[in-house]
Amino acid sequence: MRRFFFAILQALQAVRAFKLRAAFCISSVALGISAITVIVAATEGAYRKAYEMVDRFGPDAMLVLGGSEEARAIGRRDKTITVGDVEALRQAFPTAYLLVPMSSVREVNVSYGNRRHQTRVTGTTEGYSRSWSWPVVDGRDLTEADVKGARNVALIGAQVVREIFPDTDPIGKFLFVRNLAVRVVGVLEERGTTGAGHNLDDRIVMPITTVMKKLMNEKTYVNAVRIRFMDVRNMARHREEVRAFLRDRHQLKPGQPDDFRLLSSEEIIRFLVALTGSLVIFIGITGVMSLVVAGFVLANLFLLSVNERIPEIGIRRAVGARRRDILFQFLFEATALTLAGGVLGFGLGVAAGPLLKFVADFPIYFSWKAFAVGLALSSLVGLIFGLQPARRAAAIHPIQAIRNG
Amino acid sequence: MSLCVLEKVSRTYTTGDMVVWALRQVDLTIEPGEFVAVMGPSGSGKTTLMNILGCLDVPSSGRYLLAGKDVTAMDDDELSRMRSEHIGFIFQSFHLLPYATALENVLLPTLYLDRPPDGRKKRALELLSLVGLEDRANFRPSQLSGGQQQRVAIARALMNDPELVLADEPTGALDTATAAGIMRLLSSLNERGKTIVVVTHDPEVAAYARRVIRMRDGVPTEESVRRDPRPLNAGAPVTP
Repeated sequence: MRRFFFAILQALQAVRAFKLRAAFCISSVALGISAITVIVAATEGAYRKAYEMVDRFGPDAMLVLGGSEEARAIGRRDKTITVGDVEALRQAFPTAYLLVPMSSVREVNVSYGNRRHQTRVTGTTEGYSRSWSWPVVDGRDLTEADVKGARNVALIGAQVVREIFPDTDPIGKFLFVRNLAVRVVGVLEERGTTGAGHNLDDRIVMPITTVMKKLMNEKTYVNAVRIRFMDVRNMARHREEVRAFLRDRHQLKPGQPDDFRLLSSEEIIRFLVALTGSLVIFIGITGVMSLVVAGFVLANLFLLSVNERIPEIGIRRAVGARRRDILFQFLFEATALTLAGGVLGFGLGVAAGPLLKFVADFPIYFSWKAFAVGLALSSLVGLIFGLQPARRAAAIHPIQAIRNG
Repeated sequence: MSLCVLEKVSRTYTTGDMVVWALRQVDLTIEPGEFVAVMGPSGSGKTTLMNILGCLDVPSSGRYLLAGKDVTAMDDDELSRMRSEHIGFIFQSFHLLPYATALENVLLPTLYLDRPPDGRKKRALELLSLVGLEDRANFRPSQLSGGQQQRVAIARALMNDPELVLADEPTGALDTATAAGIMRLLSSLNERGKTIVVVTHDPEVAAYARRVIRMRDGVPTEESVRRDPRPLNAGAPVTP
């Protein structure tokens, strides 16, 4: 144990003594570790983001969107979910404790007095705020009566409050949605911006009946349905059941693609992980390659160093160092250098993080995990690539090493 | 008890089909407190003899006892331990660690001891003062003259208080005056009871020893014992 401790001290002294070698080893390892630090941070950031999104979306929730993926992409009709579908789903799935249809109109002009704003109007039913776990913080929620009566009432988001009612209590006021006078009955809690830069608070929520009849001139189709199930564990099964049910109602033959899309928390995670995955693979390959290169740099410099220090090894052996004392000393030297490279690399990674965020708007999260992975990998590089030179040093016979001349 | 006992020690090297005898059936005994010079031309086996005495090498046949322990069958770790506990080395080219201070170089042998020595730094400083370098403790080898470097090496050889000090051409890299200073230092160590074996081809160096062994073709051919080795105050003035 004492010898072990002294071997570390000796190694550190040699690290200090051979500064150029140290600089090369540390910087080459640092480059690799910085890439790996960023990867770990990006992966962690992506997962955090995903879980945050899932949390917001609701693990027990599902979103049915009208229109197939292909049809949406080329701008074909996305109106495939009918009011009848919604009712039929409600009847067929008793564990769906919330089933809320939604129809949105974008870029609707709204005004109050001389203040104007363009926002998104979402038509829905009384379960909306509950289905998104999005509380009404001021006034009241929409009611069944509002929806049945197609009343001109609205909940407004925090951004709309800022734009239209900067210094007025909005509750009870009438604002114009296009040319429709609508009474504000409640204000939704501030939600902030999504990962995609979408401001969730910039919206007005009204009874779907009102929106369809008076803003969209639509009788049959809704944009989407949000469903929340009581039993989270059966989500995968519910998903398949909803899909089969809608295909049946839409009379799709086997082989025909779905004319709707199902979104659950699983998809969100899968999407984000795939997005992160490509970058992670790219930086990952770069990082591992540069670590391997750093390893070879280290091994070469150490072999040179061992040859240069044969007299040193000889005298250490002569005064009583065992083979393994020499082995440990050189291994520690290598590991000390790569560890220093690891710490520097972590610093570089942290410095590069905001840059990556700026360039690619990438969720990055640095934690002790990234640090630990960096340290573990860098010491591994030192141990693996330092082993061969260290073994060579230990194998040097003292007689050859101290031969006068 | 004799310090070193060699019984019919041979050391052979095989190169291809050729067997080279570096030592042939050597019988030799060294008592505690002796000052021995081993002389001979290069290739005479004197360095091989020193390697075996210093546990850097083991005999091909025969037996070597150091401080009563049979070294012949020891493995590498045990030989390291013998060197660490019983032997101090002094080499022609000093072999100091270039990146360590004089003090750190003197302390080097203690790093490989199993028992933690108390006051090792104090002892190292005392040894440096013994060799006249108390004010150079924090100098690096490159800041010291050749003679000073060899004095640091001597202090290092004494650090673990070994029974046997082996010096291989200790003055080979030094000028005459400095060499005399080093040899007088070794003599004074011998006066204090240290057993010293010097390997050299220089009669001036051998003149300090009480017992001179001449080697030729791997065999000690001639042995002479001096009554009056060169006295301590003879020779050139001391220039450390």
